[in-house]
Amino acid sequence: MTWELFAVFLGSSIRLATPLLLAGIGEMVSERAGVLNMSIEGMMLTSAFAAAVGSWATGDPLLGLLIGIIAAQPVALLQAVLSNTLRANQIVSGIGINILVLGATTLAYREIFGARSRAEIPGLAKIKPPLLGDIPVIGPAVFEQVWLLYFGIALIVITALVLRYTSIGIAIHAAGAEPKAVDKSGLSVTRIRYGCVLFAGFMASLSGAFLSIGDIHTFTEGMTRGAGYLAIAYVIFGKWRIGGTTLACLLFGAATALQFQLPALGIAIPNALLIMLPYLLALLAVGGLVGRQMAPATLGEPYRR
Amino acid sequence: MTALEQPSQPAIRRFPIRPALLVPVAAVGFAALVGLALIASIGVSVPDAIAAFVDGTIGSPYAVAASINRSVAFALVGFGFVLANRANLTNVGGEGQIAVGGIAATAVALYGHVSALPLGLAFILPMLAAVAAGAAWGAIAAVMRVKAGTNEVISTLLLSFIGVWLLYWCVQSPLLLRKPMTSSATLPESLEISDETKLPLLTGDYSFPLHIGLPLTIVIAVVVAVLLSKTELGLRLRAVGLNPVAANRAGMSYARTVIFALASAGALGGLAGALMLLGEQYTLKDGFSSGYGFDGLVAGLLARGSVTGVAAAALLFGFMRSGGINMEMVAAVPTALVVVIQGLIVITLAGATLFIEKWERK
Amino acid sequence: MDSTSNPTATSAEPLLSLQAITKRFGSFTALSDVSLDIRPGEIHCILGENGAGKSTLCNLIFGVHRPDGGAMRYRGAPFHPAGPADALAQGIAMVHQHFSLVSDMTVVDNVLLGRERGILKRHDCAEQLEKLAVEYGLPLDPYAKIEDLSVGERQRVEIVKCLIRSPSLFVLDEPTAVLLPDEITALLDVCRRVASSGRAVVLVTHKLAEIKKIADRVTVLRGGRVVATSSTPAADIDALVRAMIQGNVDTLDSSAASMIGLKPEKAARRDREARTRSEALQIDGLTVRDYQGAMRLDNFTLTVDRGEIVGVAGVEGNGQSELTAVLAGMMTPAGGHVYLGDLELTNSSPKQITAAGVGIVPEDRHAVGCITGMSLAENIYLNRLDEFTRYGFLRRGELENEAAAMMERFDVRARGPGVLFSSLSGGNQQKAVLAREITLPNLTCLVAAQPTRGLDVGAVAAVYGHIRAACERGIAILLVSSELDELLSVADRIVVLYRGRIMGSCAADPAQREAIGAMMAGQAQ
Repeated sequence: MTWELFAVFLGSSIRLATPLLLAGIGEMVSERAGVLNMSIEGMMLTSAFAAAVGSWATGDPLLGLLIGIIAAQPVALLQAVLSNTLRANQIVSGIGINILVLGATTLAYREIFGARSRAEIPGLAKIKPPLLGDIPVIGPAVFEQVWLLYFGIALIVITALVLRYTSIGIAIHAAGAEPKAVDKSGLSVTRIRYGCVLFAGFMASLSGAFLSIGDIHTFTEGMTRGAGYLAIAYVIFGKWRIGGTTLACLLFGAATALQFQLPALGIAIPNALLIMLPYLLALLAVGGLVGRQMAPATLGEPYRR
Repeated sequence: MTALEQPSQPAIRRFPIRPALLVPVAAVGFAALVGLALIASIGVSVPDAIAAFVDGTIGSPYAVAASINRSVAFALVGFGFVLANRANLTNVGGEGQIAVGGIAATAVALYGHVSALPLGLAFILPMLAAVAAGAAWGAIAAVMRVKAGTNEVISTLLLSFIGVWLLYWCVQSPLLLRKPMTSSATLPESLEISDETKLPLLTGDYSFPLHIGLPLTIVIAVVVAVLLSKTELGLRLRAVGLNPVAANRAGMSYARTVIFALASAGALGGLAGALMLLGEQYTLKDGFSSGYGFDGLVAGLLARGSVTGVAAAALLFGFMRSGGINMEMVAAVPTALVVVIQGLIVITLAGATLFIEKWERK
Repeated sequence: MDSTSNPTATSAEPLLSLQAITKRFGSFTALSDVSLDIRPGEIHCILGENGAGKSTLCNLIFGVHRPDGGAMRYRGAPFHPAGPADALAQGIAMVHQHFSLVSDMTVVDNVLLGRERGILKRHDCAEQLEKLAVEYGLPLDPYAKIEDLSVGERQRVEIVKCLIRSPSLFVLDEPTAVLLPDEITALLDVCRRVASSGRAVVLVTHKLAEIKKIADRVTVLRGGRVVATSSTPAADIDALVRAMIQGNVDTLDSSAASMIGLKPEKAARRDREARTRSEALQIDGLTVRDYQGAMRLDNFTLTVDRGEIVGVAGVEGNGQSELTAVLAGMMTPAGGHVYLGDLELTNSSPKQITAAGVGIVPEDRHAVGCITGMSLAENIYLNRLDEFTRYGFLRRGELENEAAAMMERFDVRARGPGVLFSSLSGGNQQKAVLAREITLPNLTCLVAAQPTRGLDVGAVAAVYGHIRAACERGIAILLVSSELDELLSVADRIVVLYRGRIMGSCAADPAQREAIGAMMAGQAQ
């Protein structure tokens, strides 16, 4: 395999990993605080749709991105209300939201665009970072990416710092590990968890927008294809740490990129198997490699004083 | 990952009928109203849409039979969900279990040399293959739960995706189940199964194609209901679901119970796939299981642990789906609308549990 | 250190005053018409047995619950805390019975939780902690992780969390239950220092020794009501005890007496004939590691004869849970053997262990011992359901009849065998669990871990009545308890467990108290 091909592979891997990484980090923070959001899928899909439509309607991808972010917040709020205030079963409510969003976006898309059109949607621009992008041979292929990715990386770094060095960081950790301690220290477990779910929604909205207007510049029905669930699996694989989750998502990106890479190398593996690969990886990840005790202790349990 | 366990429902021994019934009915009613509002908002005449819906559900004997056949598939998945849920396990992998069931049934029907067998084995053996395949699919998640503590929601969900892609592969690849490609336009699907392997119809009349899946499912419903309420196995499922540690201490094997629960759920899903293949579709196609898994899941959720509830919800969804298809064909209302309604039902019910609990406590 | 009147306690305006407080939970009245006041600079003890309502009272003061009737006044103004945040802001701090610490965070982070905003100033906090350590005698490593600390050290963190806020009112709910004898002395010393600095200390307890040592005033609760008060507790101790248990000290079961700290009259020695030299339970070199590989039990060797009661003393967290778990078949040891007579039980399943005749009363009945969501009958026969199963079907009628008979025999009070287990009181739940284990058909050995935790005096007496009866029948009894006095009054022999190792063993003689206490703190004999 030549260096060019490898560079393309690496670049694709990063590109394909981006949506999962963005959504995954958001969900990781929420899970650290004890809330499991099965509805990441729904939040991503909402944003993907809204960003696409917004971009198409206004002609400006940046406005589209903003619309996507705004549109996902009510979905996140709904999940937060269901999980924290109504103390609903977090898995059931999450799946319910996903079903609703799938139906709603499909319906809306059909109404606006008709059943089979692939409308021209203005997409987000790519950027080439100055030093890295100029590395000979591999520079452009690897580092010329949609600017949203770099924005996302910056966000992830900030998130890591906040979790480690600020009061909100330890509050989030405590809310998931021992919410009683948070309650007795005078903080509100509910407020912390609400905030984290909304943050997860925000990150998921970036992820969804990336999928539609960042990557392929169009919207297809159900285009998230389970990416939200994969994000959850990869957070588990990453043991609820930023480093681990990032690695897991990169692995996903690489596995998905193989779909295009292997045929280019002349290796004939059935397409279906390659598509299956990330899910298989996720299954192995949650099945073998993570100890039972790693999860935040109250993950999935509503807090009752 | 014990931390991801959902706190199970309080084990109330005698269900007061009223809240448990009232709330799901109200949820359905509310969702239906929203649906009607959406129909109006996309500019379709509501009376036309309703007429198309009714026509699709009960407008002809064919429609009724088709609806019931669909309901049967949902009901089986729902029974499986309820069974596993008694042990506090949430099986979300219905769609994948249906898919592998369909694959196994088709494979055995087409290539298992069963057509010549007597006594109905021609269709019984493919059904058994499907049951085994579904059981295996569920058991994988169970073993992961027992050995690694993996939360079964994630594992059954991932397995579902894998199962669906497996189906895709099977119908795409001529080496597997794809019918021989005579031209580049040959569709990716299997050959049609032989007449002997098709499920016999109750009336023998193809204009009312209700197959033996219905009586079979009724029997299964009774078995599951009795198992849950009157047997020691049912008590064991409940004990493990409420407190696996204490149940273990009392001598109940966690591993055996979990494997039984999830394998049974998978087996019922596989059976649903077999019924769909051998009873209606006769040809294995990509995406045949699409939506059936979640519909069955929602039926299981609506029912809150009751077998009759699953049956009622499954009937509702079966008819809704037929109605929805006809609405799309005749009144140009996309089937996605039905999906929206289902999502609303689930969310409303999930959010209402708090009130149901408070209500039941009084 | 006896309680002379505290020079700084003034008879000025009380700091906190409760008037006719009532609190109900559903149909159960936890507190009824409770009035008391707390003065600045005093150590006020609230005395009562388990279930008297002491914890509820604390939770009301701290704002966790709101009273259904009556009023509270704090610093001269009406007091309605909306929640812990409110109470904290007004200068009330509480050390709970069950700590609320985040195990995988450091001491500093736990202290900073909820106190600061923005970027954490861990270094400054550590300095403050060190100052407090000197002032109050609470040595702590600021950067240690909670999970690496002993129970006593964790309590110090809880106390420091309170003191760093300079509270005016400092409430401690049953703080000495988890402490070594030395640590108890240190804690009482801390209380003394806090009170001397002008603050008020409320100490909730059921132990008389503590009352005698430091209480300035005492309020006695029984059944949710105030039944006695005293400003000279040391002198009035007998009256206080009588008020607490509503009975005469002499009629009190010796084990129950020991639980509250009365010098136990050693129970009339059991019939020695029941105790033969035949070994029933033999534990040989048992070694257990936890999931991270740390050693929890180290080469534990012990023999229990038939008709003998052996006590395992030690503060919780020194390997007792692992010991019970291995004996119950819930955990596999890394090494060693367990024998019951000739039968090897190591690595057996819980089912096999029950069949062999070993009954286990687990230390956490809610987590391991019972299923609260099932009925009383189902719980009593949880490990013997196949006796009521024919062709797979469960015969409920039979089950409930047998359970009703059990209820009679063991005085388990409930409306009927079919009620939800969670509706029973703690004492009755424990009696039911005990009933289940003690009536095993071929019971040879009974392991009881913390059997009287949280039980009132009556239930304690009942539990030990049954245990003694079993002992007289020739059952070998292994009693694991962190209540040293309990063991001294009931056991024949005591071994002390510290950090997974047996530090030593001796006869269960009150005279050995100091030696045992030293062993519990890790000093080998």
